[in-house]
Amino acid sequence: MKEFEPVPARPAPDKTVGPLAWMKENLFSSLLNSLVTLAVMALLVYYIPPVLDWAFFSANWQGTSEDACVREGACWVFVNAWSYQFFYGTYPVEEIWRINLMLVLLALVILASFTLPKHIRLKASVIAWLVLPLVGIALLDGRLLGLPVVSTDLWGGFTLNVFMAAASIIVAFPFSFLWALGRRSNMPFIRSVSVIFIEFFRGVPVLSLFFMGSVMLPLFFAEGTNVDKLIRVWIVLIFFMSGYMAEVFRGGFAAVPSGQYEAADSIGLSYWQKIMLIILPQVIKVSLPNILATFVMLFKNTTFLLIIGIPEVVQTLQTALSNSYWLGGHALEGYLFVFLVFWSSCFSMSLLARRIERQMNTDKRD
Amino acid sequence: MFKQKTIEQTKSAARKSGGNGSAAFYNNPNIRALFYQILLVLGLGYFFYSVISNVLANMEATGIKTGFSFLTASAGYDVLMSLIPFEATDTYGRIFIVGFLNTLLVSGIGIFFATLLGFVFGVAYFSHNWLVRKAATVYVETFRNIPLLLQVFFWYFAVLSTLPGARQSLSLGEAIFLNVRGLYLPKMVGSDLFWVAEVALGVAIAGIFVLRRWAKKRQELTGQPFPVLYASIAMVIGLPLLALIVTGMPFTVEYPALKGFNYFGGITVIPELMALAIALSVYTGSFIAEAVRAGVQSIPHGQTEAARSLGLKEKKIMSLIIVPQAMRVIVPLLNSEYQSLVKNSTLAAAIGYPDLFNVFVGTALNQTGQAIETIFMTIVVYFVVNMVISFLMNRFNNAVALVSR
Repeated sequence: MKEFEPVPARPAPDKTVGPLAWMKENLFSSLLNSLVTLAVMALLVYYIPPVLDWAFFSANWQGTSEDACVREGACWVFVNAWSYQFFYGTYPVEEIWRINLMLVLLALVILASFTLPKHIRLKASVIAWLVLPLVGIALLDGRLLGLPVVSTDLWGGFTLNVFMAAASIIVAFPFSFLWALGRRSNMPFIRSVSVIFIEFFRGVPVLSLFFMGSVMLPLFFAEGTNVDKLIRVWIVLIFFMSGYMAEVFRGGFAAVPSGQYEAADSIGLSYWQKIMLIILPQVIKVSLPNILATFVMLFKNTTFLLIIGIPEVVQTLQTALSNSYWLGGHALEGYLFVFLVFWSSCFSMSLLARRIERQMNTDKRD
Repeated sequence: MFKQKTIEQTKSAARKSGGNGSAAFYNNPNIRALFYQILLVLGLGYFFYSVISNVLANMEATGIKTGFSFLTASAGYDVLMSLIPFEATDTYGRIFIVGFLNTLLVSGIGIFFATLLGFVFGVAYFSHNWLVRKAATVYVETFRNIPLLLQVFFWYFAVLSTLPGARQSLSLGEAIFLNVRGLYLPKMVGSDLFWVAEVALGVAIAGIFVLRRWAKKRQELTGQPFPVLYASIAMVIGLPLLALIVTGMPFTVEYPALKGFNYFGGITVIPELMALAIALSVYTGSFIAEAVRAGVQSIPHGQTEAARSLGLKEKKIMSLIIVPQAMRVIVPLLNSEYQSLVKNSTLAAAIGYPDLFNVFVGTALNQTGQAIETIFMTIVVYFVVNMVISFLMNRFNNAVALVSR
């Protein structure tokens, strides 16, 4: 018996595939579109070469001082010469390994919370996260470990932004969880206290919180107590973050189907068993993209610390720009460099958040 | 052990439902709730008691005055920019108002341009042109991911402070000048009959509301639409213009002019205001663009297809089908973006624009030392402004919300 042989499919018409068709579809689909394309292209052709020339071809790369910047392009020597301060602030050179070690630890904990075997992952990573800030303070300060003490005045640069943001969100995590639970609670007083707390810290400008931390908070402590400025700001940041994160968690709690609560109740779990074993793991999973987004916001907001005189990276840059050996007006180079550092970290985090969201979002609308 | 507990709880639940009240009182949820709340009250009470007593003790020790009497004292410092007449001898109370108006000004400008940028780029995301789509993506992804403070500094220190000096000002038609000291715009100065035009403008704005109501009624009755938008624009421009012509152009235009080392006359926009307004608009605009995109994407594609199959044109599909539905998603997001814009305007302190935060929490606090009062007053203002925004946006949201029949 002769087997059925289908006629091979004919290729699509020339006009609908290939680069030319793509260009017709996406660049020149109508008269107006063609005009817009030409205008945008003209702009790009006009502006991109001089920018590239400034940033790369006639830029100054080699050297250690302002005198090295002889060509008319960008003076990357400036960034190069100050890069140490941009990253580490005025932390003593011989103690830099502590900051690097801390960065490695942070990376390890992040890695661990995604790669550990499933049955210990949650417990181990939660403990690791909560211990991390304490280890960080002990290591960077050095007092407890018998290392030379580095006063917090010397901490600074981009790593300070990273550490402040990370330390605040980690400590804020359990608090925000409690506030979110309080807001869902049936007890009227607990609920209203939680609502007031959350709405206060969400409704107030961050800067005024920082001022509270630096000016008002010392008045709150008993006479004679002297709390370090960085720690005061840290406390304020924790409160600020727990307000925002509580709202993130509230969304997470609402996203867990009520059947989960009912099922947990019906097998007789106590309140805390139900929350910790059944609900919280699901809440964290659902709110992961929003947690990341909140962290990005916090990370960007750590630059505001400059206003109360904490030498984070932008403050370091301002200091470098007004340095008397570097008065050649390198503002553009400096800002572009710090832009790039922040942009790459924030953008990669938002990409990650979007990826997680896409993985979880299984109901496809289109 | 676990099993034990479960059985016990089941038993206690059963006892409770039996209603004989034999369960231990500490297992009663109502009593437990009461207990926890009393615990919280006591804890909070102790916290506030210790904080307040510490504050009082500390203030006494450092000799800081308390109370709001400083508001009527003379401030003794000048502010860079003021919308109302202000002298250095005026009171802290007046400084408060000056700062508040400046905050409203920069927030208003920021909200206007951020909305404009956001909608333009948010819609550009759906353009048929690949280059335009990519431009929208690049805009959003660049400016969303750079801290606002850096953007403020960038515009202030790297862009505006490299502009030429007064004598080499960039000019547009000898009427608008831009230099390192600011932007100089011509100003309209009205003479005695100018109020007629102002009244005409007011009438035109009131007329829009009447016109909208009438057009809606007519459409419901006869099905005929009325071009409300064009008619409104014509009214807002036409009526005041007519009034001006009838009263014989009772105004003069004051152009900025170079006198000595700087321009005088007209409206001066100081570079601090420009940098802050640009940075706020561009930053918030990228978030609004993202909100607009999310709103439009939330509309199922079936809506567009259904509209097409009814024979609506592409433009009409956008304005009659997609946008009204997308607004339900966009407006709540806009609400929170506007609120964060107002809160972010406090970054004025970084470049010295005299907004409320800068003149009050910055300078007044420094001079009087009354941290609690100044910070409290400032926070209350931001709360109130944000509540007003929230109220207005919620009303707007109710207007665009889906009316289910």
